[in-house]
Amino acid sequence: MNWTGAARTILVCAILIVLQYTLRPLLAWRASIDFMIVALLLGSVRLRPGGAAVYGLLLGFVADSLSVSTFGAAALGMCIVGFGASWLKAVFFADNLALNGFFLFLAKWLFDMIVLVVGHQAHGAEIAMQVLVWSPLSAAVTAVAGVLALSLFKPLMEVRTA
Amino acid sequence: MATATRSGSRTDAALLVGCVLVSLIAIALPGEERSVDGTTTLQGPREAIAGALRRTVVAPLVGLQRGSERWRVAWTSSQQQQLVIDSLSMRATRLQGLQTENDQLRKLLGLGTRLEWGFVPAEALHSTTPNDGLVTSLTLTAGSMAGVTRYSPVVAADGLVGTIRNADPTMSIAILYTDKDFAASAMSADGAAFGIVYPHPARVGGGDSYMLELRGVPTRVNLKPGTVIYTSGLGGTFPRGITIGSIVQELKTAEVWTRTYLVRPAVSPSRVTSVLILSPQRVTQGTGNIWGAGTAVNTDSAARRIAAAGDSLAKQAAKLQEQARQAALDSMKRATIDSVRRSLGATPLPPVDTSGRGAQRAPVAGGQPGQTTRRDTTRVRRDTLRPDSTRRPRT
Repeated sequence: MNWTGAARTILVCAILIVLQYTLRPLLAWRASIDFMIVALLLGSVRLRPGGAAVYGLLLGFVADSLSVSTFGAAALGMCIVGFGASWLKAVFFADNLALNGFFLFLAKWLFDMIVLVVGHQAHGAEIAMQVLVWSPLSAAVTAVAGVLALSLFKPLMEVRTA
Repeated sequence: MATATRSGSRTDAALLVGCVLVSLIAIALPGEERSVDGTTTLQGPREAIAGALRRTVVAPLVGLQRGSERWRVAWTSSQQQQLVIDSLSMRATRLQGLQTENDQLRKLLGLGTRLEWGFVPAEALHSTTPNDGLVTSLTLTAGSMAGVTRYSPVVAADGLVGTIRNADPTMSIAILYTDKDFAASAMSADGAAFGIVYPHPARVGGGDSYMLELRGVPTRVNLKPGTVIYTSGLGGTFPRGITIGSIVQELKTAEVWTRTYLVRPAVSPSRVTSVLILSPQRVTQGTGNIWGAGTAVNTDSAARRIAAAGDSLAKQAAKLQEQARQAALDSMKRATIDSVRRSLGATPLPPVDTSGRGAQRAPVAGGQPGQTTRRDTTRVRRDTLRPDSTRRPRT
């Protein structure tokens, strides 16, 4: 990835991160869009798996800084998701938007489950409700938003194929 | 190439493991610590790291998030305020109607209390929109099962509304005084003028200004504007004393021996929402002085009584004055006769009591007739005659 491509990727990820802290609180949906996951996947597929893990760790700490009770859970989830996304990048960034949306869905759901399990935020029926209802809903909304972002930022993105 | 790939994979795996370890360490960090005495809590390493991140790297993002949440709160509160404003506007719109209805119901409640018996309360359902078209009939929510019969009078707190045309078991139709078939025998408050009230064909002064005509009033009776017209009770449909309206002006007609007056109704039909239907027994026995017709009559009779009492007092005063004058003349006449008789050497006449109390004074006067007569005469002169006229004969 050349410098131009890197700058573009950083710009798109920065926009998504800003959206996470502006549009998401403004919408305040119960099943909210996770722009951090979209930014993580967009960046991870352009990095080596190790670098993607570090990128995910940093993004996770940014997210954890505002939720002290589950501090570290988002970092763990994002480094695993980032590593996996980078490892599966050949599949992940195919020119099929539906496939991209599906992987976004899986990534968000996996992230939520890691945070849920590690962070000990819910118990009993509540955790089942979160895993089976709210997390899939949030993952679906995130997938839709991610697909829209991919379509929107496609001219800016340069996918690394090697 | 393969070696580079392997070493890269190892590096990636090492980085992943390192990241996972760092994450697990972050999770395992204590959040807060208690002081030695257990009374206060101290900031733990987890909070310290998170706080440091919030104050440095994440600070701009935290600021953006705070601003977004403010916007959302402002938008939500704006929506709520708009809802409050809308609901207040609706309440304000309904308030006028509710106040009008409340006033009508209060008046009707007072009318029902005064009537005490012989009526059926009912709600009036308008068949046409009040603001358009002529309101000539009402659907009432009481029927023959409640005792409503045909031609039962329909009244409101302000006065006459109309009469029942059809009485179904659970509802009835009433024609209003605006209907062309309506007629009611009417009179003025003092009972001096009688006539028949009919609907006036044309409206006066706007869409809701229904008017009536009082026809057949004798020419010798002149009703002033503002005179209140009541039902006379003649004909048996309406009991005596229900307010119909007030005189506005006299209408010029071709009739020579009778007058016709324009009457403003006391009740506006488009604003009637609740009415009372009088039962036939109540019509037969009358409604008494509920609408104030008797008050006007009583006021007139009281005025007449006061005037008559004043006349009798004046008459009595005049009578007393006449009696006093007559007594003075009698005294002067007797005094003249006494002086003539005394000069001739004859005994004077016995005193005559002109006040009607002579029987009580007779014994006193009987002991010394001459002195008594002189003293009495002198007193009469002093009370009733001018001093110059009494002294003149002595000089």
